Parts: sequence; C-alpha cells; structure tokens
Amino acid sequence: MSQIDENQIHDSLKRLSQVEPSKEAIDRAIKRARDALIADEGCRVGLAPPSFIGRLTKLAAAAVLMIGAGYIAGRVSAPKPLNVQELQAALESSLKSSLVPAIRQELLSQMDDRWQSTLAASNARIKDELARQVRRDLTEFAAQTLAASGTRTDQRLNELIQLIEAARIQDRQRMASAFDYIESRFGNGLVTLAARTDELLGTERTGLAPDVSEN
Amino acid sequence: MRSRQKELLELLGKSGADLYALLTRLTLREDVAEELMQELFIKLNNSRGAGNVANLNAYARRSAINLAFDWRRSQKRTVPAVEQFSEPVSTEDSPLGKLIHSEEMQETLDAIGKLKKSSREVLVMRYLQQESYDNIAEKLGKTSHQVRALCSRAIRNLRDVLGSNEHKSSKKEIHNVANR
Repeated sequence: MSQIDENQIHDSLKRLSQVEPSKEAIDRAIKRARDALIADEGCRVGLAPPSFIGRLTKLAAAAVLMIGAGYIAGRVSAPKPLNVQELQAALESSLKSSLVPAIRQELLSQMDDRWQSTLAASNARIKDELARQVRRDLTEFAAQTLAASGTRTDQRLNELIQLIEAARIQDRQRMASAFDYIESRFGNGLVTLAARTDELLGTERTGLAPDVSEN
Repeated sequence: MRSRQKELLELLGKSGADLYALLTRLTLREDVAEELMQELFIKLNNSRGAGNVANLNAYARRSAINLAFDWRRSQKRTVPAVEQFSEPVSTEDSPLGKLIHSEEMQETLDAIGKLKKSSREVLVMRYLQQESYDNIAEKLGKTSHQVRALCSRAIRNLRDVLGSNEHKSSKKEIHNVANR
C-alpha cells in the first residue's frame, strides 16, 4: 500500500469480509468447541468441592489472612531491635560459661565409654588372634620337624647303604685274592687231582658195568 | 447440565459458524481459528461476567474479536504461505496477486489491532461482518448516526496507522539500500 487512501482500505476490508472457511472446517470447529465445552463441564462437576468444603476453605483463607495481618502488625509495632552484636556477645559469653564445662564433661564421659567399649572389643579380638597365631606356629613347627627328621633318616640310610656296599666290595676283593692265592699255590695239584679223580671214576664205571662183548 | 452450558451450546448451534468465520477472517488461518473457537467457549463457560450479560451473542463476538487480536499480537509478524488462506476473492488469480492481497490483508488486520477497542469492534462489525449500521447501533446501544461517525473515525484512524506503517517501512527500505 504505497499510497494509502480510503478506497484501498475499503478494498482490503472487503476482501477480508469475503474470506470464508470451508464447511468441513466449520463443522469440525463447532464439534471441537462442543466437545471441549462438555469436557470442561465434566471436569468442573468432578472437581466441584462440596459446599462445606468451600466454606472451610473460605474460613481457612480468612484465618491465614488474619494471621498474616497479626504478624505484620506485630512486626510493625515491635520495639526497635537491640544491638545485635552486643546481644550476640552477651549470649556467647553466658552460653560459654554455662555450657562449656557441661559439654566438656559430657564429651569426656562419652569418650571414656567409647574407649572402654573399643578396648573390650579389641581385647577379645587380640585373644582370638593370639590363639590363632600360636596354633599356626605349632602347626608350622611340627611340619618343619617332620620334614627335618625325614631328611636325617634318609641321610642315615644312605650312609648305611654306602657302608654295606663298601664292605661287599672289600669281601669280593678278598675272595678274589684268596682265589688267586689258591690258584697260584695249588693250581697244578688240583688239575692232577681232577685227572686222577676222573680216571678213578672211569675205572669204577668200567668195573661195575656188564661186559656186553663177553656175552 | 447447568443453564450456562445449555445457553452456550445453543449459542454454538446458532452462531458457531458466524463466530468461526469471524475468527477465520481475523486470523486468516483455519487451524488457529479452530483453536481460538475452542478457547472462546471454554472461557465463556468459566467466565463470571458472561452469566450477567443480557446479550450472550454480542459478548461472545466481542470476546472472539479480542481473542483473535490477542493472538495476532502474540505472533511474530511473518508472511504466511498463500495456501494457508481460505480462498479470498481476488480479481487476480496469479500467485503473485494472491500474495499481494494476503499481505495487504495482514497489514490491514495488524493495523486494526492497533486501534482502540471500540473502533476495532465497529470496524469488524461493519466491514468484516457486513452488518448494517442499524444493527450495530442496536447491539452497541447507540444511534445509527453515532455508529456512522464511529465507523468514519475508525477508518480515518486505520488510514493513519497504515500510513505511519508505510512511512516506517519505506524508511527502513531506504536504510537497507543505503547499507548495501
């Protein structure tokens, strides 16, 4: 609208007046508004408080208002506030003088109780711990002793075996030397003895056996 | 069912279509008009003032006008898409013509929103709802001459508002060109 005149305004207004919604849109909008109206009424009925509750609410509101008014009046009519720092210092000193010893005593007794209970618990715990420790040490000692004795036994047996072995070797050597000596001294005699013995035995056999050729 | 609700349901049946058409003209959006229509009837149902009014129809119309212009104020001014509008009567069928007309209508509505309540109401009743002077006078409790004078003054005010808008926009345009 570069140049505003009444005709243009009237044209524009006329165009606006000719804007018409569709029939479907009208029906939809009316239905939606009706539904909303009914739903709103339903909510209102469902939530409407009974009359005595309404009265109660009013009374409560009035009471709150009166309390508020009383509070404000009290605040307004109250005397000027004291010097806060002085009041704080006085309160602090009086509280210190009256409360500190009592608090200290209470703290000490509480600490004593706590220590006692803690020590009693610790005592029992230490006893258990000690018993466990002794049992563990004894077991360990027994195991070590057994192991040591086993080792010593093995050692002794080994020594015995070695001694026996040495004795056997010595015996064999002696036997060998004895055989050598006998062989050197009686070797020929033995051979002669063996030959004679053989002969003798041969003679006896021939004498005893029947002569087959004679028959 | 409460009597208020009964009255409102009757009003909805009798004047629902007119109210919806009015809301559509003022918002230029059917979906928004539908929302506002629902809001309007819920407000009327919950309003204490509506129970005391003699003419519920007039009260509803005034409330609808206020609701629509409240919505317009709450919206950031944007140029809506052409297809969002119901088909306005236009001598030019081209998309550009539609766009120009819709822009003019938006401007006009925004300007109407800036007028005083009484002027706005008279303008809407006379020019958007096409009601007669006598009818408006009856509804507003004034004489026909007074209504004519009111309408004339409202148009003058509207022209002033549109003129000042035009002036502002042209200044802005010059500023933009100078900055380029």
